[in-house]
Amino acid sequence: MLRRLYANELLKLVARKRSHIGFGAFVALEVAFLALLHLPRVRAAIEKLLTRNGLPVEQYFSGTTVAVMIVALTILFLGALFIALVAGDIVAKEAEDGTLRMLLCRPVARPELLAAKALACATYSCALILFIGASALAMGMAYRGWGSLFVFSPAEGVFAFHAPWPGLGRYALAMLTLALTTQTFTAVGFMFSCFNMKPAAATILTLSACFIDLLLRMTPYFESIREWFLTHHMAVWIHVFEPHVPWARIAEATVFLLAWDLTFVAVGIAHFMRRDIRG
Amino acid sequence: MIEIRGLVKRYGARLAVAGIDLVVPRGRIFGLLGHNGAGKSTTIGCLLGHLFPDGGALRVGGVDALAERRRALARVGAIFETPAFYDYLSGYRNLRIFAECTAPVSDARLMEVAGIVGLADRIRDRVGKYSHGMRQRLALGQALLPDPELLIVDEPTDGLDPEGIHEIRSLLLRLNREHGLTLLLSSHLLSEVELLCTDIAVMREGRVLYSGPMADLPRTEGWIVLRADPPGRAADLLLGRGWLEERRGEDRFRLRAGVSVADAVGAAVADGLRVEAAHPIEMTLEEFYLQTVHGGGDA
Repeated sequence: MLRRLYANELLKLVARKRSHIGFGAFVALEVAFLALLHLPRVRAAIEKLLTRNGLPVEQYFSGTTVAVMIVALTILFLGALFIALVAGDIVAKEAEDGTLRMLLCRPVARPELLAAKALACATYSCALILFIGASALAMGMAYRGWGSLFVFSPAEGVFAFHAPWPGLGRYALAMLTLALTTQTFTAVGFMFSCFNMKPAAATILTLSACFIDLLLRMTPYFESIREWFLTHHMAVWIHVFEPHVPWARIAEATVFLLAWDLTFVAVGIAHFMRRDIRG
Repeated sequence: MIEIRGLVKRYGARLAVAGIDLVVPRGRIFGLLGHNGAGKSTTIGCLLGHLFPDGGALRVGGVDALAERRRALARVGAIFETPAFYDYLSGYRNLRIFAECTAPVSDARLMEVAGIVGLADRIRDRVGKYSHGMRQRLALGQALLPDPELLIVDEPTDGLDPEGIHEIRSLLLRLNREHGLTLLLSSHLLSEVELLCTDIAVMREGRVLYSGPMADLPRTEGWIVLRADPPGRAADLLLGRGWLEERRGEDRFRLRAGVSVADAVGAAVADGLRVEAAHPIEMTLEEFYLQTVHGGGDA
């Protein structure tokens, strides 16, 4: 039964125009980002950064470097937005439209239906992140071509450079890590969607929760408890580019986030289990 | 088919259903009547597991619908007043999504049902393009999948044109007659209920005021028409015999309890009157409903 429900949830997601907005928006954003990179002043700043660190511009201002820049600058805001849009809708929109009531006339258990929806949301988030990674790489390659990878993230304390093939391998691993860690957006959105609220409210609450977490983490006052913030662990993907992959830290962040993800999903399901569905 | 015992449902402080008992026999068409807020939809919601009752027992097909919802609803279909669909998907895909929440369904069965509800040639179109009547028929189609024994129908003809109403009514009657489907129907259209139902229950403020077969409705209340020649003599005759309780005009009388139309006709003929018409006055369902609801007593 779960397999059938999951397949139908995926079908609904694929058929809805709204699900494709995220994909389209990211392609548009990537094109805009490339246009920005083309500005002489921006190019000069990047070239200056590379030469100051003794890295040949032609070798390190490459497709993979551009791809990492695109992902790093956009994922937290736009990625969160489009994942929240879909996850916030997944139950709340059906409740609002009345199709949830139609589904629940059937001998389907509520936890099973919700599990199928949560899995479909998780699949969507993974697909979106991997698409962002692949399209950013394609755009970067088209713009700057094949070359070595340079990653610089002062906020996370990452400064690294890699030869072309190892760099590409790290990029792939980083995207997989990112796909895994951004599931927290999905789980928060799903939880709010299970509550008795409009889909837009679920989306806004999801985004608010994520941005509040981010802002608090960046506040110096909370420096000592940074590790308790979700976005701190969600940023672990950038550490994949460190000279030596910090596997222990990645595993710790993944487990921490996974525990929260399961908690958010469980809270959503528990609330929904007691909820009256009225026409 | 359905057995409801002591069902109680509260919304906060408001008592929506106040410990009702209701039995819907297998193979019957059972109409649930009542004004808005009478508790009809709440009762149906509890049956389908949309609402969690505060007390009572619900059995569908002999199975406890609260403890074993999946088994109880395995052969139940439902239609609502405003059926909701995935407008961006085809009718075919909608049918499949809803039906597969019960059990896998073959293409042949799906197309058979599309044919039964008259949507075979439009089933691949997007539901967003369907008219209200087509959506209503699609709703009926999804309720018939995979193979229900009980159909729960909330305002099935709401918003349909006269032709559409006739179509849906004929279809429901055919399903009941040919396939032995039990129907639990909630409707405001008393004329529809009168044409469709074999049994009814009248609800008001969460209570069942009357429940029973249509054939047993206490419709006459002792009023008869007795038209005789010469006019006016019948009233004197009934009055003389002490049978007359009340009179309206020349030929409408309410007889004392225990006196039948046959008694009145026999007396008139014996007294030499020429009887032109004699029959009990039957209330319409609407009159019965209004009297039951506004009378306030339990029937």
